[in-house]
Formats: sequence, structure tokens, C-alpha cells
Amino acid sequence: MSEPTSPNLIATNISQRFGHTQALEDVSVSFMPGEVHALMGENGAGKSTLGKVLAGLHAQNTGTVVINGRELIPGSLDDAFHAGIRIVHQELAQCPNLSVAENLCLHDMPKKGFTVDFAEMERRAAKLVHQLDPSIDVTKPLGYLSPGRRQICQIAASLDRDDKGNMIAKVIVFDEPTSSLSISEASVLMDITRDLAKQGLTIIYVSHRMSEIFTCCDRVTILRDGKFVATNVVSEIDEPTLVEQMIGRKIETLESRNNGSNHSVETRALKAELGGDHPAPDHTVAPRLTIRSVNSPGKLVDCSLDLYPGEVLGIGGLVGAGRSELFDAIFNIDTRAKGSITVDGQEILGKGIRAAIDAGVGLGYVPEDRRIQGLFFNLGIDENIIAPIMHKIAGFGGLRRRKEELSTVEKRIARFLIKTASLSNTTPGELSGGNQQKLLIARWMTQKTKVLLLDEPTRGIDVGTKSEIYKLIREAADEGLSILLVSSEMPELLALSDRILVMGDGEIKGELTGDEMTQINILTLATSEEKHVTI
Amino acid sequence: MSKSAADTHSKPTQPAQKKSFLGSLFGHQESGLVLVIILIGIGLTLFGMLNPVESKTPVDRSADSLVLLLDAQGVVHEPGTIARTKIATYRVQNGDTHTDYSAAQISKYDSTTGVLYAKHMLNPFLNKSNLVLVAKDASFFAIIAVGMTGVIILAGIDLSVGSIYGLCAIIGAMALQKMSPDTSWMVAVPVALIVCMTVGTLCGLANGAMSVGLGVHPFVITLGMMAILRGLTVVIPQEFFGTQSIGGFPTSFTTGFFKAEFFGVYPVPVIIMILCGIVGWFVLSKTVFGRRVFAIGGNEVAAKYAGIPVGKVKILVYTITGAMCGLSACAYLGYYGAAETNAGNAYELQVIAATVIGGASLMGGRGTVIGAVLGAIIIQLINNTLIIFEVDTSYNQIVMGAAIIIAVVIDQTKQRIQARRA
Repeated sequence: MSEPTSPNLIATNISQRFGHTQALEDVSVSFMPGEVHALMGENGAGKSTLGKVLAGLHAQNTGTVVINGRELIPGSLDDAFHAGIRIVHQELAQCPNLSVAENLCLHDMPKKGFTVDFAEMERRAAKLVHQLDPSIDVTKPLGYLSPGRRQICQIAASLDRDDKGNMIAKVIVFDEPTSSLSISEASVLMDITRDLAKQGLTIIYVSHRMSEIFTCCDRVTILRDGKFVATNVVSEIDEPTLVEQMIGRKIETLESRNNGSNHSVETRALKAELGGDHPAPDHTVAPRLTIRSVNSPGKLVDCSLDLYPGEVLGIGGLVGAGRSELFDAIFNIDTRAKGSITVDGQEILGKGIRAAIDAGVGLGYVPEDRRIQGLFFNLGIDENIIAPIMHKIAGFGGLRRRKEELSTVEKRIARFLIKTASLSNTTPGELSGGNQQKLLIARWMTQKTKVLLLDEPTRGIDVGTKSEIYKLIREAADEGLSILLVSSEMPELLALSDRILVMGDGEIKGELTGDEMTQINILTLATSEEKHVTI
Repeated sequence: MSKSAADTHSKPTQPAQKKSFLGSLFGHQESGLVLVIILIGIGLTLFGMLNPVESKTPVDRSADSLVLLLDAQGVVHEPGTIARTKIATYRVQNGDTHTDYSAAQISKYDSTTGVLYAKHMLNPFLNKSNLVLVAKDASFFAIIAVGMTGVIILAGIDLSVGSIYGLCAIIGAMALQKMSPDTSWMVAVPVALIVCMTVGTLCGLANGAMSVGLGVHPFVITLGMMAILRGLTVVIPQEFFGTQSIGGFPTSFTTGFFKAEFFGVYPVPVIIMILCGIVGWFVLSKTVFGRRVFAIGGNEVAAKYAGIPVGKVKILVYTITGAMCGLSACAYLGYYGAAETNAGNAYELQVIAATVIGGASLMGGRGTVIGAVLGAIIIQLINNTLIIFEVDTSYNQIVMGAAIIIAVVIDQTKQRIQARRA
């Protein structure tokens, strides 16, 4: 916690409208030098919008932003920049084909006559980056770096110093900086964040990862539906209170029902919400999905597992452990995978994606990145949902049967509580992240689906929709669907899974059951035998 | 982010807002194009009303009737013995009855053939034959644009359509030339169609299979094919005939079918274009195949993850485009009665322009067949405008180029406004 000084950045009565949406309403917050100040809230609460208003990316409709006594021009990135405000974006907004040095000097390339002075550029870039990580080679293309290192490069770009070696930046806004990072990468990032605050910078940390708030933030401001709820000193508050402030209601926690006292409050609360512990699935029957010695060059090493009917098998591990790669192999997207994958005794590996979906096998796959791998933004909600089975509903010559299509879609939308204005005139881009994700799960919920692969099913969606999705997953499993669940959200993985397999370096490192399923055990297994901890 | 706030919290599911009739009419991409066509049409009609052109048509009279030339005094003169300015009345004498035409009604009397031409003042734009001519000129590349729409929706491109068209025409012409002049249309038309469309289908299949199978961007594959096929189009007639042009088809194929006359105009290519437009619209919007094309164009990775056979659909779309080139080439052979080795030169530009003016996005995922057909008509209307204004046809390219850019800018602005409203 920094010493109580006077605030250097004050936002007063900020309101921001986008079309019909009131993103921010009369929000006032002040920020101290040397503090890490978190902005928290559910998706759509306005935390990112506030961050962007402060950095001059959005012009607020009303209200003022004052830094060190000077009022900023609304919506002027330039003015904010000169006042020492920097923003580190959620998405890695960089050019992966250019070198680290070029990326860092894009706005102002040093020149030698008519040509770029590469030596000078690399010197400048190295000076910036090596403040944070001396092992980064600035001449390498940025795309070769891990997401964590790319994020570090982006942060480094804001750490320019003047001639006397003083940091020019006064305030850095981190907009969900860890959303694409693995756990170990995120922890390095948080160390950096704390370090920067110690040097007197104000860090505004937009996030919805609870653990990060408690690890690295001094104060936390909660927003809900665009309105200010409270600013709390982190050391004086606990998780349930924060969650309560975020969602505006109490989450019932059944402390007595938990059997693993080593579970976090969040996990216990989640388990309780899902109706406590479930009876373990029957392992005496034949497994539904059997994977034996699946190898894929550079991706998977000798993976084997059994998945039983009605079981949720969690797959833990760090980003890059090979979890999505395993899913790609099962779904036949990875055409170089070798080994044996059977569903109800039927071999599917190497038979093509359609063989996995069709032929009584019934595999469904909700991939990790819904925007890139999941949704068709040019098509309606209806076509997005029935894309894999449209040809089955259709009549002779592929002629569509609209009535049947629509009735199928309506049933799924009703079951999954997808909020959409219309079936065929609304496109996924108009839905919230949570509804987009529900749509993708609904896509595979046919009578025939026996095995569902879920890769990060709740990434970047709000708390309310998350719990809806958890219930749907549990319900589906109770009805006999077998689910493989990849998740980096520990409470989610722990609460939903009947068993957990931990992967690392493309291998399955171990299995956890019952009381062994704890965050610590997962992390221990995930990082075991690792030759080097990469960030 | 901000949008999701409204969605996830408390907002109940709302029924889609009913748009007003006019709103829904002008909300569509096609209606904007129709509006442009109507505006150009009104403009040209008004211009034509102020600047009518003279046209002559033979006066309908029986073979044994006589034409008498009368001067102002009613004296009959022999043809050739009186100056045109002196003739007051042309009298068509048929036995005992006669019909009189004043000199102002007659454009010309050809005394050697005995044909009498009546004079009409015509609107140079708004007349049957000009309108059909515009549509006919558009139809050859509009038919190809129907296939190209699918390619563009896939976020692909086919630069080889002009060359495929040329090759289909030359090979089709070789087949037609082998037939005896009095072959029935029931033989000539199907054979020519099969030959042309088979060649086109094979070329399209090659495009699709190579770009999918080799994983090379279709721009490169079709650029190469454009040169290869054009080369074949030139080489084949040289090797076999030593000419640049192949003609001499059965008349049942030309005037008997593709250039058949109805009500004084030759509408067959136009009818084919309309049919292709309707079928294309139907396939893209009402069949699984069509929707898969949109899905792939919208998000190819997601299409793969949804189990859509991406490669197969792509190959099929290129193949269909090739077949459409064949169909169009066949219509061209029938209409003009000969094939030139430069047939369809630079057609790819017109076809892509029609598709893009018709609202297709080169980024993929968006486009309509009807729009592409209307786009082709707009291109041809612009052409017609220059002819009516008696501007040198060399200016065509300049105007068309500008039209493409303006059309796309307007379309994108419209998209942006709609996105902001949503």
C-alpha cells in the first residue's frame, strides 16, 4: 500500500453513451501515485470503458479527467499521451510479422538519411524491454514470442524515459492484461505491475480475475451496469463482499457442505450452487471415449485417457500444455495425430471431422476462441446454431426446411436461455459474450451428441452467465453426456469436474480424483518436470 | 463490452421491430441498385425526349402494290424524275385502293429495291430494341457474375473467368462448325451446351482443386490459369484452322435459338441471365450448400470447427463458376454466330465489378446474386449513357472504374451507418 498522498488523476462525473447503451453513468474515481488500482465488474459493467476514457480512447459525453491539476481534452489520445497516460490493451495489438524493435518504435522510427537506422532502433527497444525482461531478443519477430512476452513488450513500450532517466509515463492503464496469459505468465506480469507502482506510477488495473486483485492491487473500484458502486482498500475486504458488490446480490455459500476445506471460497460457493457434490460416474461400464497413445509431432506425446458416460473430465494445465491440441486431435482437426481414438468402440482418428460428428459417434467441440473458431458474424443466430446439422434437416438436393430448422433452433434457444432479439435477423456480433458462448454450446446439443469437448467455455464472460453455463454443463452430464472440459479458471475446473487430468508439455502428467483435486495439486503437476519456466 | 451490458441485464427478449414498407424496401442492397437503375433510366429518358433520333422502318405493303410520287399539285411522277424536296405525297396504290403518306412521314424511298421507309422520331434510350440491347450486352458477363458472387462470398477471387469464357467459346465453335448447316436445334443446342459447359466445368474444377489442394491463394492460381487458358484459346484455332475466328454454325443454333426474334428484339441471352439470377439466388439462400458458402466466407476457421466440408464447398463454387462461363460462352456463340480468340478479354474486370457493385464484399461473407445481375446492368447502362451522349467509347473505362470505386464507397458508408445504429 502506498503512502496516503493526494490523488494525481481524478475522474469526475464521467458519463458515456454508445447508441442505446449507457456504458458509464456519473462515475467519479480518483487515483493515487504509486498505487495499483483495480477496476472490477462483470462484463459490460463499464470497467474497460472507464479505462479507455482515462486514456483518451473514448470521448466521454460528460465529466472531466484531471491529471496533476490539468484537465484533459476528452477523446484526445494525444493529449492523454503527453500528460503521461499510457494504455496496455487487452488484445495484443501488435504486428506479429515485424521484429520486437520495430513494434516498439513503430510510431517514431529512427532514420539514417532515407533508411531506417536499425542499430539505433534496436538499441532503443532493448533499453525499454530489458527493464522488464533482459532475455527478450528485440531483433526477433514479435510473433515468435509467447503471449506473455508479447504482453511484456507492450508494457515496455509505455516505459520511455526522458534525458535524465525519469519515467515519462505517470499513469498506465492495463486493460485485462492477463486474459490471454497462462498462470505463470500472469504471475510474472503481476510482479512487474507491483514493481512499476513502487517506482511511483499509478497503475489502473482492469480485470475480472479475483485472485489477481488480491495478489497485486492496493485498492479496487467496483462498477456495476456503468455505475460506481464502491472503492475498497484491498487489505480490508474479502472475496464474497467484492462478488456481492459486483453482482448486487449475495451468493449463498454452504460452508458446511464442503468436504475439501482446502478449496477456495469461490470453488465451494460454485459447488454449492451446482447442488453440492455429485455421485461419481459409473466407471464399471465401458468408457464412451477411449484415447490410446495419441501422438502428434510437436504437440502431443503419448496421451491416453478414458471418458465414461455422464462424466465431466476436467483437463488442467498451463496455456501451451497441449490441452487444445488434444481436442484438435480428437476432433480430427489435427491431421498429423497418430494413435487410437474410439467412441463407443468406433475408431475415429484420421477419418475426418465429419466422421467425428456423424456416423452415430456424436462428437461436439466448443473451441477456445469463439470469435475466431466459433461464430459466423455474417449469419443469423439460427444458422449459427444449426450449421453442423443443417444438411441433416434439409430435404432433397440440400433444399432447406425452414420450419424444422426454426423449431430446432427455438428449442435450443429456450433451453440455453439465449437472449436474442430475433432468430434470423440478429447476428452473433449483437449478442453479449455470454450469449455467444451459450450459442456455441447449444450448437452441439443434439440428441446424438455423446461427447462434448469444451475448451475454456466461460472465457471472458460475466459471472451471471457463467453460473448459467455451469448449470447447463452439469445438467447435460447428469443426462448422460460425457464432457471433456479444459479450463484455466481453477474454481470452475474444480467445481465442475468429476476427475481432473493435468497436462504439461503435450503429455498427461497425472490424474486427480476426489480430495486430491485442489489448485495446488494441479499447479504442482502442471509444472512438474518442466525444464524451464517460460513466460 | 458496453453492448453486452444491455443484453445480459434485465432486458427481456424483444420481438424484431417491424420496419415500414419503404424502410424494408430500401433496406436491401438490391433496392439501392434498382434505385440507381431507375434514376439513370429517368435521366436518359428525359434526355432522349429532348433529343429524339430519327429511325426508319419499311412500310408494310403487299408485293404487287405500286408507289406513286405526287407533287404539291397532285401530279404523278416517275421515280427518279423528281427531286425529293418537290415530292408532297407518297401514294401506295394497291389495285383500286390507295394509302397516302405525306413527305414528312417518309424517311426514304429506295427506287431500285422499291422499299418505302417510314420515318419515326425515337427516344434513343426508351425504346424496345435499345433496352433489350443493354440487357443483352450485360447478360454475357452477368451470367458469369452469378458464379463469381459465390466465389467472392467465399472471400476468394477468380481472375480466369474471361479466359475460361474464351476457351469455351473456341472449343464450342469447333464442335458447332463440324455440324451440318441444317442440324436441328434439338441437337445443336444441347451438344454446344454440353461441350461449352464441360470445358468450363473442367477449368473451374482445376481452379478450385489447385487452390484448395495446394493451399495456394486463388488469386495466384486463377492469375496463372488466366494466362494459360488465354494462350490455349489463341493456340488451338491457329493449330487447327490457321485463323483467329471460327464461324459457320447451323442456323438453328443462331437465329433459330440464341438469336431467335420475338417482337422485333432478340431476348434469349437476357432470359438466360434472368433464369441464372433466380436459380443463383435460390441456391445461395435456400440450400444448405449456399448457406455453407456464406458460413465459410464469414469465418473459415469456425466453418471447419462446425464440421462444414470447407474444401469440397470451395471446389464446387469454383467449378460452378467455370460452368457458368461455359453457359455464357454458348449464348455468345449463338448470338454472334462466330467465336474470336479474344472473346471475353478483360471480362474478369467487368464480372468482378458487377459483383462488387452488386454489394459483394471482397472480404467475404456478403453478397447477392440479384445484386450482381443488377450491377452488370448498371455497368451496361453507364456504357449506354455514353453512347447516347455521343461520348467517345474510349471514355468507357474511365467512367466504369470511377463507378466501381463510388459504388463500394457508398456501400461501405452505408454498412458503417447501419453498424452504428445497431
